[in-house]
Amino acid sequence: MTTYAPVLRVEIGEGLRAILREPTALFFSVLMPVGFYALFTSIFGREQAVGELPYAATSLATYGAFGVVSVMLLNPGIGVAEDRTRGWLRVKMVSATPIGVSLAARVVAALPYALGVIVAMSVASLLIAGPVLDVVTWLRLVAVLVLGGLPFALFGLAVGFVASSNATAAILNAVLFPMVLASGLWIPLEIMPGWVQAVAPYLPTYHLALLAQAQLTGAAALGHLLAVLLTTALGALAAGLAYRNLRV
Amino acid sequence: MTEVLDIDGVHHRYGPHVALDGVDLRVRAGECVALLGPNGAGKTTLIGLATGLLARQRGRVAVCGGDPRRAATRRDLGVVQQTMGFPNTETVGELVRGAAVRAGRTASAVGPVLAEIGVSDLRPRRAAKLSGGQRQRVGLAMALVGDPALLLLDEPTVGLDVTARRAFWQILARRRDAGVGMVLTTHIVEEAAAVADRVVVLHRGRVVAADTPAGLAALLPDRTVSARTAVDEVTLRALPGVRTVRRDGDRVQVGTTEPEQVLRGWLALDRTLSGLRVEGAGLEQALVSLTGEQVPA
Repeated sequence: MTTYAPVLRVEIGEGLRAILREPTALFFSVLMPVGFYALFTSIFGREQAVGELPYAATSLATYGAFGVVSVMLLNPGIGVAEDRTRGWLRVKMVSATPIGVSLAARVVAALPYALGVIVAMSVASLLIAGPVLDVVTWLRLVAVLVLGGLPFALFGLAVGFVASSNATAAILNAVLFPMVLASGLWIPLEIMPGWVQAVAPYLPTYHLALLAQAQLTGAAALGHLLAVLLTTALGALAAGLAYRNLRV
Repeated sequence: MTEVLDIDGVHHRYGPHVALDGVDLRVRAGECVALLGPNGAGKTTLIGLATGLLARQRGRVAVCGGDPRRAATRRDLGVVQQTMGFPNTETVGELVRGAAVRAGRTASAVGPVLAEIGVSDLRPRRAAKLSGGQRQRVGLAMALVGDPALLLLDEPTVGLDVTARRAFWQILARRRDAGVGMVLTTHIVEEAAAVADRVVVLHRGRVVAADTPAGLAALLPDRTVSARTAVDEVTLRALPGVRTVRRDGDRVQVGTTEPEQVLRGWLALDRTLSGLRVEGAGLEQALVSLTGEQVPA
């Protein structure tokens, strides 16, 4: 039986080195979400936001969703587009490893990056507001956010399969920022205009944030879970269709 | 001898455009075959089918008896592409190790192949810092590290100077002697003549000639007479001894085995003939005669 574990290790290593050795990308996908979280938590940190929970805890779910979606949408998608543009994807496609292994590794390599964003936010939360979550709740929150980021990676790959690296970065950022704003991940929806509140339930980031928040509040989350699963299915369909039109 | 590449009756189209129209190509272990032809002849499509990048539409493509669309078959395949677009964040050692692991080998294969290519000193260097020639040599190391039975070389010496090109072919000659089959596409006709055992000329998706470089050149006119003239090509074609006629800008080139006879006839038609040249025709002239198109420089 063929084992792809050594190939996965090599591919994940390549993905991680790409992140660590070109840290300029850290600005938008790490410093910005963590900086925003730290800023607003230092202003509203101990105020109660949802039920008994302080702002520092509930916004860990919303800003955490923003940080994870930023990483998972942008990193694998732009990475694949760059690989395609420079001909590296072609090198991998003619190798003895199925290209699916390389693409899966691209996504897996983004997971520690996404995890790093949540850990950085949690450290900021501890320093600013003190402990606001128990360890088990925090772990559940992290698991939901990281796994919930996967469908966004599929959409990122779909764009990266067909657009140039510059176009991929532009398209994904043009989608990301309005989406996170309209989902209430930066500013609570209650103080947003009515039309934004009406749009929010149709956005996958909205459901990911509420699914994450439900881990803290215990609120019903089945609808949000189904929405995230539907997003995953649509992301897989988009990535599959884009791959069929792949030009290397 | 074992066939490492067997392409049989392959047809391929892109919409209404026919890229390959019933092409056969067989490469034996230890044989180097050069694919020549003008742009759009079908070389890239043929290489795309042999690497498994393109799905076969009609006909048969087998690498060491297997379908190259299957990843396991590609263990027998090494590919050197015209431009190797490495990620800038990787070192040479990491790139070649990755290629080894993807080919089912271990990292221990990296050191010997880097030494064989003569790039051991580049091992810690980032891909971003490599020159064009160094990138091609690293690309060759990546293609060889899996110990392939068939090498597909797509314009592999572009950007290499004469010394580097010679070193490149010396390495490949050793591999060929060890039984590795090779398919080379190149625009450098002299290179194909020097290194290939057989030359296959593609034109508009068909094989128009296949022979040894010397055999191909012998089939065709051994002299080219060219000049600026007022005589049209149709009249020249009717002269005794004329095999081919081709206009190149303001000059007309006539291919012949009897240049004196052609010159006598031509001068009888046009006393103002100027810029006269008589040259020996090699493989490049043979290619031009076969395809009717100039080989790009």
